[in-house]
Amino acid sequence: MAADAPRAAHAPGAAADDPVLEARDLRKVYVLGGGVEVHALRGVDLRVRRGEYAAIMGPSGSGKSTLLQILGCLDAPTAGSYRLAGDEVADLDESALAVVRNRRIGFVFQAYNLLPRATAVDNVALPLLYRGVSAARRRERALEALERVGLADRTHHRPNELSGGQKQRVAIARALAADPDILLADEPTGNLDSRTGQEILTLFDELHAEGRTILIVTHEHDVAEHCERIIRIHDGRVAASEPVVARRRPPGDARGA
Amino acid sequence: MRGGPDVLWWENVKTALEALFGNRLRSLLTLSGVVIGVFAVTTTISLGQIATAGITSEIQAFGAQSLFVTRVNSHPEGRPFTNADVEALSRLPIDILRQRSTRVWAVVGDARVRLSLNGTTANAPLIDRSIDLARGRFFDTRDEATGAPVVVLSADAAEALFEGVPDPIGREVLLETSGGNRSYYTVIGVKKRVAGALGAFANDVSGDVPLESLYRDVPGIPRGSFDFLPITIALDQDAGAIERQVRAILDRRRHPDSYQIQSIEGALSLFNTITVILQALLGGIGAISLLVGGIGILNIMLVSVTERTREIGLRKALGARPRTILQQFLIEAVVLTGIGGVIGVASAVAALWLVVQLVPFLDVFVLNPWVVALALLVSLATGVVFGVWPARRAAALSPIEALRYE
Repeated sequence: MAADAPRAAHAPGAAADDPVLEARDLRKVYVLGGGVEVHALRGVDLRVRRGEYAAIMGPSGSGKSTLLQILGCLDAPTAGSYRLAGDEVADLDESALAVVRNRRIGFVFQAYNLLPRATAVDNVALPLLYRGVSAARRRERALEALERVGLADRTHHRPNELSGGQKQRVAIARALAADPDILLADEPTGNLDSRTGQEILTLFDELHAEGRTILIVTHEHDVAEHCERIIRIHDGRVAASEPVVARRRPPGDARGA
Repeated sequence: MRGGPDVLWWENVKTALEALFGNRLRSLLTLSGVVIGVFAVTTTISLGQIATAGITSEIQAFGAQSLFVTRVNSHPEGRPFTNADVEALSRLPIDILRQRSTRVWAVVGDARVRLSLNGTTANAPLIDRSIDLARGRFFDTRDEATGAPVVVLSADAAEALFEGVPDPIGREVLLETSGGNRSYYTVIGVKKRVAGALGAFANDVSGDVPLESLYRDVPGIPRGSFDFLPITIALDQDAGAIERQVRAILDRRRHPDSYQIQSIEGALSLFNTITVILQALLGGIGAISLLVGGIGILNIMLVSVTERTREIGLRKALGARPRTILQQFLIEAVVLTGIGGVIGVASAVAALWLVVQLVPFLDVFVLNPWVVALALLVSLATGVVFGVWPARRAAALSPIEALRYE
């Protein structure tokens, strides 16, 4: 397992055509009470290259969140194939899936999902704990990650002592701490005011500039336009996949389009 | 994986303690079932051991084994024992106390009490180790030979007759028999209160006088007849074998059903049987408390899992294996019952100590380390048994469904 893959894999331009995610004909059917079936995904085909920065857009109920959860291995598809860095996810058992969630995927939730009783640094260190990293090393890496998201001065605050934007930064630091292959973010600015939302997006822009693969689910164009590509989901299918012509850039981004 | 399991194990203990301290009142209430169960089990077993040790130490302190031969009044041949019987038994390596008792009235001034009067021999203190003088002396062989009117009073008798008199030695007591005989006796000794289990609850109002004096002053008691024969056997002798020899000798002299032999050892084994039954009974109550306590743990762990569904979902989303979540909740249950076990054992030790301080005949504090180990082990096992189901439920949660849980 390429869990401890060298950091070079994230470097700009490294194997740019190598699909880090590849979904074929993904379907997800929810069976509600009374046998009512809800088809959330009706056959999604999707390839995401290493280092890509893409937005998944779609109206409410289009299945975009379901897709992201399946891509994040938080949920299993009813049918179809999903390969993450070449491995067929359906072949993995619960324990192996836990390793994938831990090492390859950093998930950022709309509602932050921080442990309320734990400090920022403990929250960030949590994925490292499940990786068996020693306490001293966890702390070191968590502090680095918090510094990376600009929260070096908030490391020992608990979530209720942090603003919404700060909480989301902690959540991003947590996703970064385990140094995953890809960052998945589900409406990361959905609970934030527009200025704070912009700060978070700037952070994503910077992380992308550092070579990370990022997928953001959003229903806001302003958000999606930070990305290189917009994948539009409609009625559980990919309706369109189009490059962003006029990208919103983080200030000082030197990379060419 | 570098030190993975160890790191997680310790973190899980920390998480468990945080969760338990976060809900302090609830944790304490949940603990109470286990505390009561462990307390009950520990105290019952230890109390039995303390009681047995108390009795045994008393017998050891007594310095001898003893038999008690009594006649069966209701049997046609159940006549009193005679000097000839005593002589026949004297071939054995035993000491026989010749003793005859009756009841008289004892009068000193206005005080008039019913006294159990024992006519006995001067060597009685050597044979009956419970005779222990607080003041004065026991009568000697000369008193015995002459039938001197001297009496050694029990502590209760001295108190009843000479209330407020610091030293009754040398004072006189009037003894009245039911037949109307009145004789004055001089107090020459006062015994200590009988210590320990054998005397703790007895109100012993008695006086010892020379056998000869009893025969002379109490009409109607034939010389050389005894209702019972207390026999002491040195500790190095086989009491069982001697009991069989006593029986063989007496069987030749009288009908086998006309007398009975009792031994303290026999009484002790009866006591032990009662103790075991009591232990089983109270132990059963302890086990039921543990079961109820365990169900309490089960309940609270299910509540804990439900309350923390989102947390479990998050932990799984961040890479916690099912095994890790299982371990986390199992450790929480075991830490909970383990704390309950420690509190239970500690309060049991405190209660037992108090009992030993307060109850007169339980004077040996026994705390078997195995009992403590067993109690703690049982409490931990309760945590495992009743924690495993909620923990498995937590471990089996799908991360996204758990995260969606409101």
